[in-house]
Amino acid sequence: MREKQAANGKEFDSTDAFREMRDTYLDAWAKSMVDTVNTDAYAKASGMMLNNYLSASSPFREAVEKVMLQALQQFSMPSRADVVSIAERTVNIEVRLDDMDAKLDRIEKSLASSRPASRARSAARPAVRPAATKSRKKGAK
Amino acid sequence: MYETAVVTDQLLSVGEKFADFTKAVTTKASIAQTPKELIWTLNKAKLYRYIPVLPKEERHPVPLLLVFALMNRPYILDLKPGHSFVEFMVKSGYDLYLLDWGAPGPEDKNLKFDDYALDYLPRAIRKLKVVSGSEEFSMLGWCIGAIITTIYAALRPDDGLRNLVLLTAPLDFSNKDAITFSRWVDERYFDVDKVLTAFGNMPGEMIDYGAKALKPVENYVGNYLKLWDNLDNPQVVDAWRAMNTWVTDNVPLAGGAFRQLVVDLYRNDRLMRGEWIIRGERIDLSRISAKLLTVIAEGDHITPPCQSAAIMSRVSSTDKELFRIPGGHIGIMAGSGAGKRTWPHIENWLAPRSD
Repeated sequence: MREKQAANGKEFDSTDAFREMRDTYLDAWAKSMVDTVNTDAYAKASGMMLNNYLSASSPFREAVEKVMLQALQQFSMPSRADVVSIAERTVNIEVRLDDMDAKLDRIEKSLASSRPASRARSAARPAVRPAATKSRKKGAK
Repeated sequence: MYETAVVTDQLLSVGEKFADFTKAVTTKASIAQTPKELIWTLNKAKLYRYIPVLPKEERHPVPLLLVFALMNRPYILDLKPGHSFVEFMVKSGYDLYLLDWGAPGPEDKNLKFDDYALDYLPRAIRKLKVVSGSEEFSMLGWCIGAIITTIYAALRPDDGLRNLVLLTAPLDFSNKDAITFSRWVDERYFDVDKVLTAFGNMPGEMIDYGAKALKPVENYVGNYLKLWDNLDNPQVVDAWRAMNTWVTDNVPLAGGAFRQLVVDLYRNDRLMRGEWIIRGERIDLSRISAKLLTVIAEGDHITPPCQSAAIMSRVSSTDKELFRIPGGHIGIMAGSGAGKRTWPHIENWLAPRSD
């Protein structure tokens, strides 16, 4: 084997055989685990575990929240609810700003589109203007 | 004496290898390096425009907007220089935009698909149109991003969407036996309201656990063995670190959107049944008329292929293609073969449709 690998230009590695064996085992394990997780039994077990965790941690979490709220009030600090409320109001302001930005963009666009027409009008005006001026002068007389 | 020296050498070598391994696992790679500018923000959402590298006359006039999933960071599309879909598309002459949803906070727990598809996305698109100067645009949605883009395409078909690319899009939830997540979130086993009452948003760690538990041996054992076996190959280590940086950067999913995902989609398949109502509007897939490319990863365990194929017969688009490619959910876009197979196919499909 050593000669065969040397002939292939690869260095002999004593761990190759172990790796092959390990990978074969892992492949088989992986396939069986994929089948296992895709069963109702797994879904039921994982759901139950999550449910139990949430039920068990709920009183503790509520107690921590209550203590935290009291502590924050004691130190005149904003609570989580206060911060959330401010964040919501900030988002509302952002939405209003975005609406205004959209309106400004529309105004800018309509101004830009009307500009070529006004330019065309002003470009055409000199041909008309002398006559108009003349007639006005006539009228003045 | 000689044997003791050999054993000592081997132990030292294993010790060094272990130090390299720990370093690779615990340090972050430099990612998302393609130059970009921030052009719009709303709440946590950000719209970026990638700085073009080609002059305007050589670029495609129709801009492309990338919309990634809600529960992962979008920089998987711009993993590292030399291996980045974003870089590839910018060099191919696209005026490229990326919508980053950001990480929802407690104040965002009520955000739903309604908000993402009919508020955030249209606003971002408006800005894209202003900046690009084009009334038409293309959109690429990946995973949950594909759900959002599909909703938008169906409810706003006249808004200028010319091309729609859907990558591993979970749209059809009818085949419950083939979709492991459907089994897990079955109402007999999973109490979605209890989870959301406890957490508000669905924690990123739980989503990450769910995704990894679909293939536990590959994700929790094989992945690290692959790194161990290739510690002497800097290219493999770099790629592994970049991917690990992305995988471990988890984002929570807004509670309202998570509830819709579980109840409306995984449990009741309301999108394909034509029963999903978003802000009072029923989503009718036949209203999608944009040119459509659907990309399916044959080995996808997160979005099995059966979830993405059905849309092809539901849309009214006349120009449509279903492209199947070997690989997994993330591998088709970020794996080592992505730059040879998936990216060129998307680019070749988009190019004549973007002029």
